Amino acid sequence: MTSTGIVLYARSRALPQTVAALAATTVLAVWATHSLDSYLDPERRVPVVALAPLVAATAIGSSLHSASEELDRTAVRPWWRRRLTHLLCLTALAAALLPLAVLSSAQIFGPPAMVRNVLGCTGLTAGAAVVLGARLSWLPVFGYVSAMYMGVSGLRGTSLPAWAWLLEPGAGGGAWATAAVLFALGGGAYAVKGARGTP
Amino acid sequence: MTTLMERRRPAAEAAPLRPEFRSGFAPLAGAAVLLTLTVALAVPAESWQGGWAETRDRTHAAAVLLGIPLSLAAGCWQGGRERRRGTGDLLETAVRGALPRFLASAVPVAVWVAVGHLLAAGCALLATWYCATGDSPYLVVPLGDSLLLGCAALAGQVVGRAVPWRLAAPVLATAGYAVLGFLSYDHDNAWSALSPLTDASADRMPVWWQPWVSVVWVGGLAAAAVLFLTARRRAVALVPLACATAAAVLLVGADGLTRPAPVAGRQVCDTSTTPQVCVNARYERLLPQIAEALSGLTGRLEGVDHVPVRFEDRRGRPRADEAELPMVTPLGWSVVRGKLTEPGQYAWEAGMALFSRADCDDTEPAVARADAAVEHYLAPSPQEKYFDELDARGSAADRAALKDRQRARARLLGMAQDERRVWLSEYFATAGDCDPSGVPTL
Repeated sequence: MTSTGIVLYARSRALPQTVAALAATTVLAVWATHSLDSYLDPERRVPVVALAPLVAATAIGSSLHSASEELDRTAVRPWWRRRLTHLLCLTALAAALLPLAVLSSAQIFGPPAMVRNVLGCTGLTAGAAVVLGARLSWLPVFGYVSAMYMGVSGLRGTSLPAWAWLLEPGAGGGAWATAAVLFALGGGAYAVKGARGTP
Repeated sequence: MTTLMERRRPAAEAAPLRPEFRSGFAPLAGAAVLLTLTVALAVPAESWQGGWAETRDRTHAAAVLLGIPLSLAAGCWQGGRERRRGTGDLLETAVRGALPRFLASAVPVAVWVAVGHLLAAGCALLATWYCATGDSPYLVVPLGDSLLLGCAALAGQVVGRAVPWRLAAPVLATAGYAVLGFLSYDHDNAWSALSPLTDASADRMPVWWQPWVSVVWVGGLAAAAVLFLTARRRAVALVPLACATAAAVLLVGADGLTRPAPVAGRQVCDTSTTPQVCVNARYERLLPQIAEALSGLTGRLEGVDHVPVRFEDRRGRPRADEAELPMVTPLGWSVVRGKLTEPGQYAWEAGMALFSRADCDDTEPAVARADAAVEHYLAPSPQEKYFDELDARGSAADRAALKDRQRARARLLGMAQDERRVWLSEYFATAGDCDPSGVPTL
């Protein structure tokens, strides 16, 4: 009875569990970076820089689910501000926590690459939540990360094409632009339309 | 009345499965597997297209490392469907037992992910077929992989039923990826035999039973989990578990899960040239292109004595009277989609394989000049002009060395054909010797 609307909203979207999942992902990422001996070669951090944002994005994506989607749409207050705040806060939290795993070198698969991947993966997930529903929003981003992780290792040359933004080692402008556009489009679509209602 | 009921019965029997196959999540899961594998294979297509063994290994690695986690996730998602829809209680009232109910929702996903993989593997085989360089397609490995993906989807469905967590599917997939990566990371580790990913290089192939025993290992675990969850007598699950254990023991205890590919030990040769040109049978259709690329070099060595008998292309070091053919593997560099990318560079590498003083501590300037002149005469490097220009702009010593090299080249080119043949025969009699006394000068 004493709970405010914000607290009820956070509970209904499983925000405490999502924050815990992000924290657990960070701990796992730090452990994985350490156990991969990445101080020997920053390239060894590729699994962490690719998979940690994927797990964080799936956690954020599943928090976008509403159990009462049709009821929500009857509300008088506009939802887009809450949706946008929800998405921005969780993305900011993931972007602040996950780089802790790759602090030792900024140039190759360092914090900028991690933040970029968090933005890109979260944008893809938010967009997928609009089309497929929040609970299944992990599927497209999982497919993309898997395909890139395996496929790009065979590409020749130093600079990767824009669609391979996930595995660009440095803070390349093209990769950042693609990830930012994905976040803007996916996040914008989610803020405006909300996640698709699914059982 | 009787007639109507008889007519309706077949439709009613087919009803539970047909919608599961045709709509809902199962076709979407198959499409996701197909799309993921196609992109993962198409991006680095240059590195496998044209070689059947390379195609087999790349498709297999993609299926195991990407397809299995995705199938686990797809099955897990399907397994949580009744919970998400709140129809679990309703389903409990159905006449059919738990196992048929489970299979009705699990089999369509398993079949669709297997079909998605088969289509992706089929596309990869077609992509190699039109530019194949030799050898023959390997079909058992992709068939086994399809079964593995189906089994993974069944196992995932069990987890989806048992774990009521909204992140279960993606976390299961990520865990599957981590476990497979861990098992496959170090192939010297005994546990690595339990990974369905075989460590086959292009000139080796899995032993015939390995794909099937891997299917029994993974499938046995999946079947045990399914029966433990759904069978009326849970002890029945021990039967597939015993099969899986036996398969695991066989895999871990086996003396090697791969064997040398017979085709990789054979060569096909063009014996009309000097030296003869032999290409590994895996790339036999490259022989005309390679012979054409080397035609200038072999033409200039016609009648010259003391040159190696042939260019060979087998594993290991060449014999005393042979030279090593420049590598065409890994695909994607000198050979892309069944075509030699840089015949000039290839011919230069072949020429350099005929004489080498790389093991000598020091080379006399006169010997180095003779080597450079022979290199220029047989098959000049595509970069030769660039280095000449660099020396021409360099120090006085560089310019003098360039002038010496050019003079030696001109002398060799200026000889009469018979005189040059005699000189080259003397030269090749000492090719590789570090003692400069016997090397003819220019």
